[in-house]
Amino acid sequence: MKLKSLITAGMISASALALSSAAFAADKTVRIVGFGASSGVVGIFGQNSGAAMSAAFEKINAEGGITLADGSKAMIETEYYDDRCNAEEGISVLRRIASTDALVAIGPTCSNVAEPLFGILQAKVDDAGDTGLQFPVFTDVAIKGGLAGISEWVFRNTPSEAKMYDDLFAWIRETYPDAKTIYGGVEEDFAHSRFTWYSVMKTAAEAHGFELVGEAQWLLNDTNFSNQARGMRRAEPDVVAISAHPFTSCGMLREMARQKIQPKVLVGLTSSSSLETLSGCANEAQGIIIPTSFAPVNDEAKAAAEAVAAKGGALDLHSAAAWENAMILRDVINAAGIEGTPDTLEADRRKIRDGLAALTTAHGLLGENKRMPDGEAVKPYVFVHAQGNAWEVVHNPGS
Amino acid sequence: MDYFFIIDFVQSLADGLLFGTTYALIGIGFTLIFGVMRKLNLAYGAAALAGTYVGLGLFLTFNAPPFVVFLASAIGAGLIGLVVYYCCFRFTPEAHPMASLLASVGMLLFLEEMMTHVSHGMPHPYPSVLSGATLELGDIWIRGDLLFVFGICVVAMALLFWLLYRTPLGLATRAVSQQPRAAQLCGIDSARVNALTFVIAGVLGGTAGAMTAAAVGILSPIIATGLTVKGLIVVVIGGLGSIPGAIIGGLLVGAAENIFLLLRGVTERDIYVMLLLFLFLTLRPGGLFGSAATRD
Repeated sequence: MKLKSLITAGMISASALALSSAAFAADKTVRIVGFGASSGVVGIFGQNSGAAMSAAFEKINAEGGITLADGSKAMIETEYYDDRCNAEEGISVLRRIASTDALVAIGPTCSNVAEPLFGILQAKVDDAGDTGLQFPVFTDVAIKGGLAGISEWVFRNTPSEAKMYDDLFAWIRETYPDAKTIYGGVEEDFAHSRFTWYSVMKTAAEAHGFELVGEAQWLLNDTNFSNQARGMRRAEPDVVAISAHPFTSCGMLREMARQKIQPKVLVGLTSSSSLETLSGCANEAQGIIIPTSFAPVNDEAKAAAEAVAAKGGALDLHSAAAWENAMILRDVINAAGIEGTPDTLEADRRKIRDGLAALTTAHGLLGENKRMPDGEAVKPYVFVHAQGNAWEVVHNPGS
Repeated sequence: MDYFFIIDFVQSLADGLLFGTTYALIGIGFTLIFGVMRKLNLAYGAAALAGTYVGLGLFLTFNAPPFVVFLASAIGAGLIGLVVYYCCFRFTPEAHPMASLLASVGMLLFLEEMMTHVSHGMPHPYPSVLSGATLELGDIWIRGDLLFVFGICVVAMALLFWLLYRTPLGLATRAVSQQPRAAQLCGIDSARVNALTFVIAGVLGGTAGAMTAAAVGILSPIIATGLTVKGLIVVVIGGLGSIPGAIIGGLLVGAAENIFLLLRGVTERDIYVMLLLFLFLTLRPGGLFGSAATRD
């Protein structure tokens, strides 16, 4: 009798232990955080990225979460840190994130933050002489070309503007054979706008035989564009390319309308293919063509856009990258076999870095993204133009 | 000197002078408050823009017509001006001028953040009047909307002069400005005059904000810093405390900006405007119309 009682008690204890272990496994969490500008005048970018990450992780968790090395499941916890598009704050935020149990960070928003921020990371992995931060960063928004080369801990899922604009100007050359000349307009004090005009758009246009007949410059908070538009009017360009963010793009487009400047083709900056432009100046922006790595053109992209909208955000080429990054990280973590414990934090971060570095392709919302050896991505894209109050696909180079 | 350069020069001058009236209104607001209280309200530009957002709210919610939107912007800025007065000036100790100055900096940051938060930093369309109209004088094009802006600003200035020089309120305001203690001894409630001055300055600022947004056709919180900086430059050049100085200063800054833009390009434009400011601070710190007179 006594023996029977002992066996029963032992079985109950074992069951309780097993149950508590199972419950413990279900309670396991790992942290993947986002950071970028979620306040300030470019705060909408961070808010959309935050919403996209949150929606993506919610989907992953609903599907069972991620798999750890021991085969148990863990849920993803996330949080979004605000750097206000300020380099000092961005660096401080990343140092703070690295001091927590976060495995990897998605961000930042602004290229002027990304460039100095990547500089505090260890440039070459396993370089004992380099005391830089050893923390993986997977960038979604900051789009200025070539930044991943700064550190081997940096990976980017931003589209290649060089490739997109090269294709765009080739397409314009083919579609509008009468268009010969181009005039550029650039927001001179914003890193992305400057880089895209001087190093990407201008180069691509000239490579495809367009003759540059002038350039106009303005600043981010300018409110008067009459001088700049006058030069444009006199040059009578066939193509006008505006490399500026929505506020000044809208100001310039209105001034162009006032001065009756009607180019055959109007080209815009990737970041302007957003709701902001349509909200600010839909009438004047009609027809402006912009290459973008996101448009709701298939079921998966539509579902993602709806999930993000339910979180109060909007999916565009920037925030779509945040969604994709979340999904890519899920796959990398599942394959890498991380432990997910405080003791293995550094090793887990390294495994994620190595997993990202080993990728040659990754699934994206518009198709397969190529992962390049330097940490950059080459993503599928489409050309959209403003039609009414929406962006419509005018050409799909992949189709 | 070729023909196109002369045309460009005249055009830049005309655009600058027309747009400069908005700077003049902002400058008048700064100078009015300083003239009455001898204190600088650094939240003034942000309050003006916050008022403009009140008008925008009416436009976006009820599709209100432009004149209603402009009026709401002016009244909204006047009311926000009153809030700024009570929060930053009314109860701060007279003996510590830095207290109100720093309180107004805090209010500037607060209002900027609030506008950014409410608008998500996104630009929004703001109604314009005569935006498609152009007066063509040969090769010189005068924008209809800028002429409208100019007209509204001139009317606002005329109303201000009438208020200051033809009404009992204006008399009280000038009395407090010149001799606050003597004015109080004469039975003038200086706190009430100060509050009304903030409202009047706010209305002028709201008008300037509305006209700036109408000229661009969109409103964004990033304009706030520009309004504050331009307003301060205008009052330094015109002479802090002088209304005619603010008007001349505003027109001068508007014209100088456009001329420097034409001659030196956008990257150097602000350098020369700041150099102008530096020259005034060094060689004529009282500004063009600054008075050496002091008060008790």
